[in-house]
Amino acid sequence: MSLLSLFHRSTNRRPSRNPGRHKIHKIVGGIKPAANKARSLRSRIMSTPIPEMLVLPLLQHKGTPATPVVKPGDHVLKGQKIAAADPRGVPVHAPTSGKIIKTGQCTLPDAAGTLVSCLMLASDGKDEAIETGLSGDFRNMSKVDLVERIRDAGIAGMGGAGFPTHLKIQTSTASDIATLIINAAECEPYITADEALIREHARDVVKGAEILQYVTGAQQCIIAIEDSKIAALAELKLAIADSAIEIAIVPAKYPAGSEKQLVQAVTGREVPFGEFPASIGVLLHNTGTAFAVYKAICESEPSISRITTVTGSTLKTPKNFHVLFGTPVTFLLDLCGIDRVLLSRIVVGGSLMGNCLHDMDAPIIKTTNCLIAGSLEEFPEPLTERACIRCGFCADACPVNLLPQQLYAHCRCQSYQQAKDFGLIDCIECGACAYVCPSHIPLVQYYRASKSVVFQQQTDRKNSEKWQSRFQFYQYRQKRESEQRIQARAEQPSHPQQIAQAVFSREKARQEISEAVARVKARRANLIATSTLSSPSLSSPSTEPDEKP
Amino acid sequence: MKTEVYCSPQQHSQLSQHSTGRIMLWVIAACLPGIAASTWFFGWGLLLNILVVMVFAVLLEAVMLKLADKPVKTHLADNSALVTGLILGIAIPPGSPWWLLFTGICFAIVVAKHLYGGLGQNPFNPAMCGYLLLLLSFPLNMTTWHLPTDTLFADQQFSPLSWTSLQYSLQLCFPALAGDGSQISEYIDGFAMATPLIEYKLAGNSTVLAALENNSPLFARASETGWEIINFSFLLGGLFLLFKKIIGWQIPVSIIVTITIMSLLFYEQGSTAVYGTTYLHLFGSATMIGAFFIATDPVSAATTPGGRVVYGIFIGIAIYGIRVWGSYLDSIAIAVLFGNFCAPLLDHFCRPRIYGHSTRPSQ
Repeated sequence: MSLLSLFHRSTNRRPSRNPGRHKIHKIVGGIKPAANKARSLRSRIMSTPIPEMLVLPLLQHKGTPATPVVKPGDHVLKGQKIAAADPRGVPVHAPTSGKIIKTGQCTLPDAAGTLVSCLMLASDGKDEAIETGLSGDFRNMSKVDLVERIRDAGIAGMGGAGFPTHLKIQTSTASDIATLIINAAECEPYITADEALIREHARDVVKGAEILQYVTGAQQCIIAIEDSKIAALAELKLAIADSAIEIAIVPAKYPAGSEKQLVQAVTGREVPFGEFPASIGVLLHNTGTAFAVYKAICESEPSISRITTVTGSTLKTPKNFHVLFGTPVTFLLDLCGIDRVLLSRIVVGGSLMGNCLHDMDAPIIKTTNCLIAGSLEEFPEPLTERACIRCGFCADACPVNLLPQQLYAHCRCQSYQQAKDFGLIDCIECGACAYVCPSHIPLVQYYRASKSVVFQQQTDRKNSEKWQSRFQFYQYRQKRESEQRIQARAEQPSHPQQIAQAVFSREKARQEISEAVARVKARRANLIATSTLSSPSLSSPSTEPDEKP
Repeated sequence: MKTEVYCSPQQHSQLSQHSTGRIMLWVIAACLPGIAASTWFFGWGLLLNILVVMVFAVLLEAVMLKLADKPVKTHLADNSALVTGLILGIAIPPGSPWWLLFTGICFAIVVAKHLYGGLGQNPFNPAMCGYLLLLLSFPLNMTTWHLPTDTLFADQQFSPLSWTSLQYSLQLCFPALAGDGSQISEYIDGFAMATPLIEYKLAGNSTVLAALENNSPLFARASETGWEIINFSFLLGGLFLLFKKIIGWQIPVSIIVTITIMSLLFYEQGSTAVYGTTYLHLFGSATMIGAFFIATDPVSAATTPGGRVVYGIFIGIAIYGIRVWGSYLDSIAIAVLFGNFCAPLLDHFCRPRIYGHSTRPSQ
């Protein structure tokens, strides 16, 4: 009897076991590096204290930099717009109240350590917020209005690329979006920002996803999350209980969270070469972006902070921070109790695609999802590069199905045409190949160098084509002009009758001019006469209206 | 505060199979069961062979690296010379004189490997090049197998692992040690073939099956089940490499499947001796070491997944064809070198479709 009931229960439960769970498709390649995520997830997200000085770069995203709308000396409030943007950029807001000290330059925490102009904000510690309009239900607002609000809130993709969110929505409205994927598959080692965010704010993330789905008009919205994030998954399941959003549980494999790979895993389709996912009706947004959208629409708070993982073996208490943009990296590291003696490198992002920090005083910006303060033991010096033995481990690891070892051979030989043929431009630089290479060849570095050469060649070719066509037009114009001159000379009057005609016409013109001059003089004299006559009766000019010339 | 700046990825896999030097050591380790079985059944000859060839290989490698102006220590640490030495040492009949071993390994390391540009640049499997040179130049030495357990020594049998056996092997390898009046050197004329494949003509049945039927002890040195046990040991080592993902499954599986199909297809029961059973072709020959250890040499093999399958099929066909219709009996070497010739072409035609492209790359 009990066995039977067990059976019944299990059969009954089956359809509802995975409510809203989405079918997952296979992605090729991939690696399974040590996740190193547990340490930063031990404590809850902590809001950082407000630092004395905030450094706010005017370019924290992909696109054009914002233009300051405040001057040094101005007092600003939390959430006040301090730099406005053109349609291809996003504005910058003051993360706290205080005084703008000066405009200057700062290093971005990106791969190149780019220098950009920035605003320095000295906080007054009061954290006074600017008055904001009340926010209602987003379903009562128009889509255009919502996109405008998202743009005004200064939201750019928080996953790392930093593409302005409103642009992504706008480009997608042109094409029909069937599926909106919220990327919570944080596959890179060390990063736990999205996981922590979902653990503590799953409802808000889901709400943000709903707003995004409404704005983009997507038929279905799927939150893709890795199967290793058990606690976050449980929270998410609770949060989606009364919404139409589905969950896609992707296997914990790097780089499942990469845009193209996630599209493949969730929809089973591939993003065509050189196109955005929108071309196949798919749109991706990061979890952090969804949260920022929720904040902007439902709480009227612009994008002034984010969740950033601060971890690494040199830190005593690694954790996730709710950190204001512009907070210096050193400030965060000190909060975690950094051991500067052990520190060998600071990685921004995960350990596979992340870049090294150039300047410890660089600020946290909209795309900074993780900081790893690693020791030499954790991040050993790269070993000597050995000869490629064509073992093919790299090809097995490549998520794009390239043949990295052959690509490497072509890149090394600088035969770029061949390299392009072997998919150089298709490489997503995930680093899986270099991670497994037994000969410790820095493959990604070779590909990046070759890519920049290829792109340089393309620009050069484009430029040379442009200059060539201009030069050809210049030659053509010169030729045409000389021909015209010759033609004009040929057409010059040489016949006596023609000359006479020309002289005649010239004299006729002169005569006409003198006649016109005489007419004008007469009229003027007439005008003066009438005005003197009518001067006593200026008060009633209507008496002689017809006399006016 | 200044920190170092590196290009991504910031970390590298710490797994031992993701390091060239360790991979080579794993390959050597995977050969150990086969070598142990061989030593158990046939005495010290093979072990001595391997050791001598390995020493020569490392010395020659060091010299060539020095001549090529490469850092000797760093490059020796990739252990690739050891593996070349190991494979050649297993291939050359035990009891061969040192100069034969030296000639083979010299051609393998100097010509087939370093004259082509060193590790990673050689189009042909160096060990097999060395083996083929010896086979063509010294056919008698290369088909003479001195085995202490040979039936020809029946009157003076001694254990393969005994001191006498070691002396015997040493004297065969370094004839100078023998002096003139040694008793053992008289037996040099006795020989047995490399594998039971040729014995099949005389013996007929597979010996392990026969031994099992007769309840004779499998591992007793006199049971003549040696070759099968050795092949099973190499198979075990090969499966270990597969498990460690050091070699791909494509090459060994396609070779074994091809040989199985070929031998089933052309099997004529008893009519012609050399068309042996599938079992004989797989376990009574060098198929296992060839499929798992020789053909899988990554440098000279095909590297695309599809290319590897075709490469294995080609080698399988070549192995069977040469065995059955050619004049060489167990010629893994020729088959593998034939496969090496095809590898670049196979790689060219078997490139996988790249993500986001509807067709395979232009060919």
